[in-house]
Amino acid sequence: MKINCRQLSIIVFMSFISLKFLALPSLLYVYSGNMSYLVALFMMIIDGLYVFLILDLMKKCGQKNLYEFMRECLGAFLSKIILIVLIIKYALVAANISKGLEFFVVENLYTEFNWVVFVLPLIILVGFMVYKGIRNIARVSEMICWAIVIGAIYIGLKAIAGVDVLSYLPMFHDGVLPLFESAYVHLSWFGSATFLLMLFGKVDFSKEKKNQMVKYLIFAILLVQFLYFVFYGLFEVTSATHNYCISDISQFTSGQSSINELSWLVVSLWIVAQAVQLALYCYCIVQGLNMLFNLKGNTLSILIVLTYLFLWSLIGENTIGLEKVFFTHFASIITLVTQYIVPFLLLIGYSVKNRRKKYKQGEKLDEKIKNTVQS
Amino acid sequence: MYSLWNLVSINFRRLVKLQLMKVDAVKTLNEIKTKLHESSDLKTRTMQFFGTQVSICYFAPITDNLLLNNSLLSPMLAYPFDSESDVLTTLKEKVLANQEVTEFTDLQSAVDKLLAGNTLVLVDGADEILGCDLEKITVRSVEEPPTSVVIKGPREGFNESIKYNLALIRRRVKSDDFVVKMMEIGKLTKTQIAIVYFDSLADKSIVKDITKRLEKIKIDGIIDSHYLVSYLQRNTHSLFKQIGDVEKPDILVGKMLEGRIGIIVDGSPIVLTLPFTLLEELQNSDDYYSQPIRVTFVRVLRFVGVILAVLLPGLYIALEKYHYKILPTEFLITIMNTTQGIPFSPFVEILFVILLFEILYEANLRMPQYFGMAMSIVGALILGETAVNAGLVSPPAVMIVALSGIAFYIIPGQAAQFSILRLCAVIIGACLGLYGVLLFCVFVVSYLSSFDSYKSAYLAPTAPYIPEDQKDTFMRKTIKEMKLRPKSIANNRKHSVRRGENED
Repeated sequence: MKINCRQLSIIVFMSFISLKFLALPSLLYVYSGNMSYLVALFMMIIDGLYVFLILDLMKKCGQKNLYEFMRECLGAFLSKIILIVLIIKYALVAANISKGLEFFVVENLYTEFNWVVFVLPLIILVGFMVYKGIRNIARVSEMICWAIVIGAIYIGLKAIAGVDVLSYLPMFHDGVLPLFESAYVHLSWFGSATFLLMLFGKVDFSKEKKNQMVKYLIFAILLVQFLYFVFYGLFEVTSATHNYCISDISQFTSGQSSINELSWLVVSLWIVAQAVQLALYCYCIVQGLNMLFNLKGNTLSILIVLTYLFLWSLIGENTIGLEKVFFTHFASIITLVTQYIVPFLLLIGYSVKNRRKKYKQGEKLDEKIKNTVQS
Repeated sequence: MYSLWNLVSINFRRLVKLQLMKVDAVKTLNEIKTKLHESSDLKTRTMQFFGTQVSICYFAPITDNLLLNNSLLSPMLAYPFDSESDVLTTLKEKVLANQEVTEFTDLQSAVDKLLAGNTLVLVDGADEILGCDLEKITVRSVEEPPTSVVIKGPREGFNESIKYNLALIRRRVKSDDFVVKMMEIGKLTKTQIAIVYFDSLADKSIVKDITKRLEKIKIDGIIDSHYLVSYLQRNTHSLFKQIGDVEKPDILVGKMLEGRIGIIVDGSPIVLTLPFTLLEELQNSDDYYSQPIRVTFVRVLRFVGVILAVLLPGLYIALEKYHYKILPTEFLITIMNTTQGIPFSPFVEILFVILLFEILYEANLRMPQYFGMAMSIVGALILGETAVNAGLVSPPAVMIVALSGIAFYIIPGQAAQFSILRLCAVIIGACLGLYGVLLFCVFVVSYLSSFDSYKSAYLAPTAPYIPEDQKDTFMRKTIKEMKLRPKSIANNRKHSVRRGENED
């Protein structure tokens, strides 16, 4: 069951925007102030470049899955270690999405709320989507993508009148260093291309359209920049206290402190987007587990992932410190490795393997020529 | 060696045939009678023509008496047979020359045809039995089907006769590309089934698959085309319809022109079509005979109608119970005023109204037509009004369920499925609020995305998105602009043009 290039572009697009509109803008503001949007821009461009690097590797690997490809390029031992690190990365992102969703729902929808109960339907949905495979996730993304985009643009446009452009000045008053520091600390919110590694051999490139992915990526970057521009322009120095970018903007525009007629639409769309993203990362974990332990069916690995999700839901708000450690420092290192080092390792491994192959072919040819000359 | 073997086998077969089939009119007639358990409606007549005994037998209820007299009996009796004439050859070549005559060399196939309405002619000493098609076709006239009423466009609908239905299609299709494959299913009913398609347009592997599935069916009888549905659909226990059904020849031909395959069942006015996508339910034959802009508007309306039908009651409960802050203050006050004093929770209230609605619907369907109107008045006006006045349910609950109920019939083909989905949405809305309803929506979309109907994605051309097919999705362009056959349906020539090459 393969997905086509258009579906892949949409999944990448969704992955690029989904985690960016919740807590990230406020978290970035703490480190990089009114220049936070530049951090997002910088990191998203790097992520975009990595998308193309991984896509190139995907085309090179043909029908093989990631593990088969890695084993050929880097050997079995290193491949297993990389798989473990990748699974940790996906697990962290899944936990991040799940927690983000929990806080988002608590903050915006319910006064009395027991997440442990409410997470169950989410787990069932995720389990179903993962069981049905990447094509199912791709198709659902295709269905909801445009509603989410329209909702986000609508929110931004409605609030744009209240944006104070002067709040972006002065630029770089603390220098460039805080931007890099901010980028490093929040690395786990980026690295949106890592999930592509688990789609090796699952994409049909036969009908690839020129620049299709570029267009989707540029659109994703522009959309994020647009909403960040609106967010920081609206909330200025109080940006750090507004934890839910997308719903806070809509609440601010309507002038109400709680969820209102406009917000609920946005909240709805965002919950849906997060659920699909959660399914995508759980699918990656399942694929990783299958490759790591050479499992034939998905059932066991799906059960493991769903149990993991449920266990995360048991961690309450009082353990927020633990989460922060997980989602910032530790996750940053993992993201650094998985997103920014692994693809390069694969590329180098592939080139070395190719050169060796060519060298061997050359040797054989030399031998043949030698034999012919001798005979 | 080969030719010698051929010679031997041919002669052996001839020998066997001669030994097996030597008709003794009276004896064979008795055999037939015994085979048919002396059925009372089996009529027989025996005549003598210069010493040769000729018997005819037929089933009176399914044989056209007038045709029997005018085309068989009268010409037979009037023909000047003499001692020299070979009765069987004379009957075949002269007396029944203008009739559709079939020759049977074995008794079983002759009896099968007798059961299908043929009249058998048994000539003493002959080596075959003659069968004349004198079937009396008693069918409804060609009427407009109640489920596919159109304002503009053809009004002809299929009836219960496969012959008439094929004639209605043939009248529209004058091409050698049109294929009809007949088969018989049902051990007792021996129902005739026709698979119809355009040879150059339909996907051959799908035709093969359908034929194979139909051939495999082992059942006593096929009463209606819906009997075949469970044998043809892939997800047998799915709630959703996976096979299309049409009641009008113009719709069927339109679908076949897109590469679909039709299955006609004798005795059923509903023709099944495959492959099937959900989008077909949003389309109506009227759409192709009306202005494209109007059609686009109507299709969007249908889509909104479906969402309203399924989600409105669930959302109402979720909003009233958990997220009342979302509602505008004035609207909230109105709801609070009307729901004051209602002894039940919004969930029970909505459930009660839905139940009432479903009972009324079922009763209305089964009730004789002249009771229908009275029933509607009693149900909708008196019961509803009384329930509100008695303080059992609130007016918004009645209004919400009524609106949802009416919206169902924008897409009558899926009304049954949607009513179950609505019930699920109500329960989830009551338990989990808006968050639950949203997850439910994603689940339904995910579920629908997960299955294909004969190589066609169920949600195509939306998921997977097929840009070329968007000309006839929510938006409809003019027939002139729809140059290509839909890619979302598995057909033989996916990229072939619908129009002639020399047209602009």
